[in-house]
Amino acid sequence: MKKLIRMRYTKWFNVSRDGLSRNNPIVIGVLGICSALAITNRVDNALAMGAAVTFVIMGSSLIVSLIRSFIPTRVRMITYMVIIAGLVIIVQFFLQAYFPQLYRSLGAYVGLIITNCIVMGRAEAFAVKNPVKYTFFDSLANGIGYTYILVLIAAVREVLAFGTLLNYQVLPDSFPTWQVMAIAPGGFFVLGILIWIIRDLTKNYDEEATA
Amino acid sequence: MSRNQRTIVFVFILGLSFSLLLMGVQSLTAERIRLNQEFDVQSAILDAFDESYTTANFNDVFEEVMETIETDDVVIYVHEASGGFAFEFSGLGVWGPISGIIAFESDFETIRYVRVLEQEETPGLGGVVAEDDYLAKYQGATMNGGLTISQTADPEASNEVDAIIGATRTSNAFEGMLNRAYEEHKAAWDAYDGGATT
Repeated sequence: MKKLIRMRYTKWFNVSRDGLSRNNPIVIGVLGICSALAITNRVDNALAMGAAVTFVIMGSSLIVSLIRSFIPTRVRMITYMVIIAGLVIIVQFFLQAYFPQLYRSLGAYVGLIITNCIVMGRAEAFAVKNPVKYTFFDSLANGIGYTYILVLIAAVREVLAFGTLLNYQVLPDSFPTWQVMAIAPGGFFVLGILIWIIRDLTKNYDEEATA
Repeated sequence: MSRNQRTIVFVFILGLSFSLLLMGVQSLTAERIRLNQEFDVQSAILDAFDESYTTANFNDVFEEVMETIETDDVVIYVHEASGGFAFEFSGLGVWGPISGIIAFESDFETIRYVRVLEQEETPGLGGVVAEDDYLAKYQGATMNGGLTISQTADPEASNEVDAIIGATRTSNAFEGMLNRAYEEHKAAWDAYDGGATT
């Protein structure tokens, strides 16, 4: 028990909690919204996207953290871009070679991981200032934090839009499917409601709103 | 070493190592990607002629039921049972290349099947060009006098097909590439067929 209480004060615990809940990139930071709206119409797409983004966040953060003492300050943004773009292209090759079906349904959004603010954000805000062991927890927590929110949104949308969950029929055929949930506006509704619920539960309001 | 020199050396090493890494990954995956693309084309053509296949035997089935004719730098696939034709087409869309396959009945004029395999058009607008529901409209249309894709397509005219609403440029590009590919392949086939019979 004592050990558990003490864990709350360790850095890796706090770093992980930041990524997963306290500073979750999507619901608190409202980053990476573009892909969160676009590919969350089915749970399998959300899982694949989550895995791809987690890989890129972890890969880029770990590389940046590893070489952080060599990166010249003036070219650090370009350094992040080269590393991130390189990893995203590797993901593209990998999906094209082994999961062509997924590659097609994710379409342009795999390439757009390059522009996902979470990836660059973690590199600049955390990895470049922290040793590899903490960067590992930070990037993993942010990747999983992104993934589970995506899966939550996708679960709601897929059930309402297609009556299925992971392509298994969960609602009777007589259920009138909600076309709007299959398209981007449906993503907006679900994400908005989710952010509202989570912020209300965690009492995380914007400063001005509470004042 | 001055700061500038260090920066240049750093950028050089970074660029070099990532280029090497990407080249390595590409050469590792190139063969599988090529096989996947071959599967896409061949399975689409087999679907066009209602042939059944599995992911394991598609290549054997394809070689059995289709005859591949290479003439005049073009490749035409002939379905031996029905005498139908198929070939690949490609061209520039609005944002990127569009490519796919088109199949014809044995008259080499009536469209039997169209499938778009690759496109980067605007999702929801030009992206409709890859949807099977939309491409089903092409079934039964003829290339006689050139295919016309327009918003005011005459349902009576067999060579007119509805354009995609809100995607005029994609529709125009698609019309152009289909007609171009058809003319090229038809001319090559006529030359080949004429030469073969005389």
